[in-house]
Amino acid sequence: MNADSRKRALRFLYQKVIDPLGYKFSPDHDLVEFLLDQEVMLERKHGIPFCPCQGLTKNREENMKIVCPCIPFHRDHFDAMKRCWCGLFVHKDVTNPDELRQIPVTELGGR
Amino acid sequence: MKVFMYALSTCPWCFKTKQYFKSHHIPFEYVDYDLQNETEQERILKEIATLSPHAMGFPIVKIGSQVIVGYNPEKYSELLGLKNSVVA
Repeated sequence: MNADSRKRALRFLYQKVIDPLGYKFSPDHDLVEFLLDQEVMLERKHGIPFCPCQGLTKNREENMKIVCPCIPFHRDHFDAMKRCWCGLFVHKDVTNPDELRQIPVTELGGR
Repeated sequence: MKVFMYALSTCPWCFKTKQYFKSHHIPFEYVDYDLQNETEQERILKEIATLSPHAMGFPIVKIGSQVIVGYNPEKYSELLGLKNSVVA
């Protein structure tokens, strides 16, 4: 499967997961395209489409928490930001993703 | 003030952060965590843990003794005394 086909497949799969969680793809199409490109590349390298903006460690359990879409593992954190960490997904009511910022979980009193 | 950044080569926010420092002519150093070998990654992880426990979300920027997790141009400007400049 070439990269474009895989991107389309990931979009289809992710949509099914994020919709019931109250999220949608970011309206920033360039960002979405770039992030999906990175995920296809990460999937080719590691076998799994990890988040392009979070670091992998030797801890497999922790790594599994950053498999895209990782919203269920970081629900409180992402809900507070109205976006996921990399910005691929935003809350359904978000029209301008540029207004949202990455807030470290420690600032929100969590971990 | 010394500026150092922990980045991922796959992260667009890390790219934006690098662009921010370049466009403001701020000298900075960085390391792409994901492009390092295993030994170096472990060393970086320990370093990050001392700066910001539980943070594996990139970018992680150190300006002087301050640590900023996530892309935050307003904060960079504030710490660098560029408060009124237009941010990238």
